[in-house]
Amino acid sequence: MKKLLVAVAVAAVVPASAMAAGENNIGNCGWGSKLFDGQSGIAPQVLAVTTNGTFGNQTFAITSGTSGCTQDGTVKSNWKTALFIDGNKEMLARDMSVGSGETLDSLAHLMGVEAQDRAAFNQVAKENLWKIFAADSTADIVANFRQVLSANEQLARYTAAL
Amino acid sequence: MHRLLLLLAALFPALAAAADPGYLSELVARSRDLKLAERPEWRKLVHYEPNLIGPGVHGLLDNKSFYNSPEGKRDPRAELEATLAAFFTESKQCAFIARRAWLDEELKFDPARLPLEDCPKFREWHDALNASSLTLVFASAYINNPSSMYGHTLLRIDARDQNERTRLLAYAVNSAATTDEKNGLTFAILGLIGGYPGTFSVLPYYIKVREYSDLENRDLWEYQLALSPEEVERVVRHLWELLPAYYEYYFFDENCAYHLLGLLQVARPELELTGPFRWWALPSDTVRILARKPGLVANVVYRPANATLIAARLETMSKEERGIAKDLSQGKPGARDAVRGLRPEEAAAVLETAHDYLNYRRATGKAEAADPPRLARELLVERSAVDAPNQAPRLKTPPRPDEGHGTSRVGFGAGRRDGQNFEELRFRATYHDIMDTDAGYVKGAQIQFFDTALRHYADEGTRLERFIPVDILSLAPRDDFFQPLSWRVAGGWQRKFVQNGKEPLVAGLDGGAGATWESRGHMAMVYGLAEGALQTHHELDGGYSIGAGARVGALVDPTPRWRINAYASGMRQFLGERDTPASIGVQNRVALGRDVALRLDFARTREADRRFNAGSLSLQVYF
Repeated sequence: MKKLLVAVAVAAVVPASAMAAGENNIGNCGWGSKLFDGQSGIAPQVLAVTTNGTFGNQTFAITSGTSGCTQDGTVKSNWKTALFIDGNKEMLARDMSVGSGETLDSLAHLMGVEAQDRAAFNQVAKENLWKIFAADSTADIVANFRQVLSANEQLARYTAAL
Repeated sequence: MHRLLLLLAALFPALAAAADPGYLSELVARSRDLKLAERPEWRKLVHYEPNLIGPGVHGLLDNKSFYNSPEGKRDPRAELEATLAAFFTESKQCAFIARRAWLDEELKFDPARLPLEDCPKFREWHDALNASSLTLVFASAYINNPSSMYGHTLLRIDARDQNERTRLLAYAVNSAATTDEKNGLTFAILGLIGGYPGTFSVLPYYIKVREYSDLENRDLWEYQLALSPEEVERVVRHLWELLPAYYEYYFFDENCAYHLLGLLQVARPELELTGPFRWWALPSDTVRILARKPGLVANVVYRPANATLIAARLETMSKEERGIAKDLSQGKPGARDAVRGLRPEEAAAVLETAHDYLNYRRATGKAEAADPPRLARELLVERSAVDAPNQAPRLKTPPRPDEGHGTSRVGFGAGRRDGQNFEELRFRATYHDIMDTDAGYVKGAQIQFFDTALRHYADEGTRLERFIPVDILSLAPRDDFFQPLSWRVAGGWQRKFVQNGKEPLVAGLDGGAGATWESRGHMAMVYGLAEGALQTHHELDGGYSIGAGARVGALVDPTPRWRINAYASGMRQFLGERDTPASIGVQNRVALGRDVALRLDFARTREADRRFNAGSLSLQVYF
């Protein structure tokens, strides 16, 4: 309980929305490289017998890497888009390559892309996938995507949401 | 009464100074008149369960700070009164926000005499969740890993501004062991004896979807619950109380799925979810319980895993397209030229499959390409240049996990062995074997705990025939895209003839590895495993035996109700007691309903140079 109280006290002095829109970047926030560490082999499978039903899976022990970006598990609003991209890079690229999908829809929703702009948003993402995902780091992907959007007359206004 | 107040004043020195102690005694008196400590709402908020032995209750959470009274873990009334007292001191109101809400509802706090504290930290968190409804998410088995068959459950908090297309943005509540332990063995052993605290945590749902769907290839089932806004609110408030709490689990019963139900049932006073799970709290049983509560489940959404989708795609592709997709996924030169010869829809399908398969290989740690992330990106860029919509096939929703047979099983049977009649009573604590009906389970994936048989022979009386605590078998079919190993591990006690002519209950540990293939249309599977066995018993020559052998068989479903397993196995025991046991047989299962089946088995066996036939018929009931 003490720990919670300390957390409450610490959080109280951090302003709720320190960053204005447009200043949003990945900074020190990230889900870490654990996302694509596969596991294989029989030994972990056998051991999972006892661990899986008995208690939860812990492929992601997310304790570090998101401090300061989350509060009791919820992502602070100014990090939401960046952390979403960071946590969904592979599937986002996958959706962009076909110009549809729930990961792309979720990103559009986070960015506030309006219904009449969705088709253009999806199409521009598809056509410019090679540019947007020319880099590996989330910060670069965000920067590339911003550039692609700003070059499009209809979508330029959403640049600020990235 | 006065003694209690003195005690309270001693325990909470701030109390006298901070507020009106007279009002506290009024509230305590009223809570006693209303018998609030005995109400289900209070029992659920503090997670009291009846003691197994003797009268009384105990709270399931194990951190001291979850209780305001030193007696709180065992004494609901002391805890309720200490909680009221704690509301008069600073900060406890926000830590126990669900208790405050309920006690306020019941006792109608006078804000002049007990000011309600503002809880900005809670409000910020609460607003970020923006909860409108709750969904219980069940992660089913790994596609070829029976050890994951129990599944895992999460509670998803769906926000007001989401729809089915943007559910990735919801938050999920995970109930799990908290540890950074990387060693699987240490994790398993310490986990079993309660070595790690279990905690509740909140994280974006997309993290769990990536983990289950894309990495572990487990299908997800989303059970959307029909709860009112006030009911959702109760759960969210209680979750806040649980975030700093922890529990120690005990084998099987007090696990993560159980504690998640403990959180969920605060939604309604009359909703009882944890009661039936005193002994077995499997995640798949928890979805069954929800589905059986009338009107509780509003809708069920199936979210197939990456490997499930790949398998569905492959079924719609020609042999040539499959070949191109596989070559592409391995970065073979020339494969891209082959794509250019295809129509746009075909090219799109091949490129999509190649990419998804490459990611599957990456996730399972087996990617062949030199630089898999780069190849994945190149495939996507190539795909983005093709003018065609997503080529993923529409998947038929398979039977839901709550629609499968019950996980426990009893069997009543009779048979004849070597000229002698017997009756048999069988019991399996849990969960599924390869002869059970597959609806809601994974075909070929078997995990059984405590398979037990009592047999009665006219001459020899009643005896324990078999007691197998653990029996796991994975018959995972191979094809040109998926090459899982089939394997088996079992340990327990079983009657067998030994060289001195007796038939003792021999302790044994068996294991094996091999391969399985499946026919198109999934009607038949054939399998072969190389096996090893270690046995010990004082009736064995030298007290033990070690052997190696093989097993082959075929699983055939002539009709949806009827399954045949025809098998042959042999072994050479080359250390300890020498023997060459062998067996051939046919097992039949005919399902009479979801939870009733007939079994008819025949076998011819050689053991310690005895040769005999056996046959039995039994009725199996699942519950």
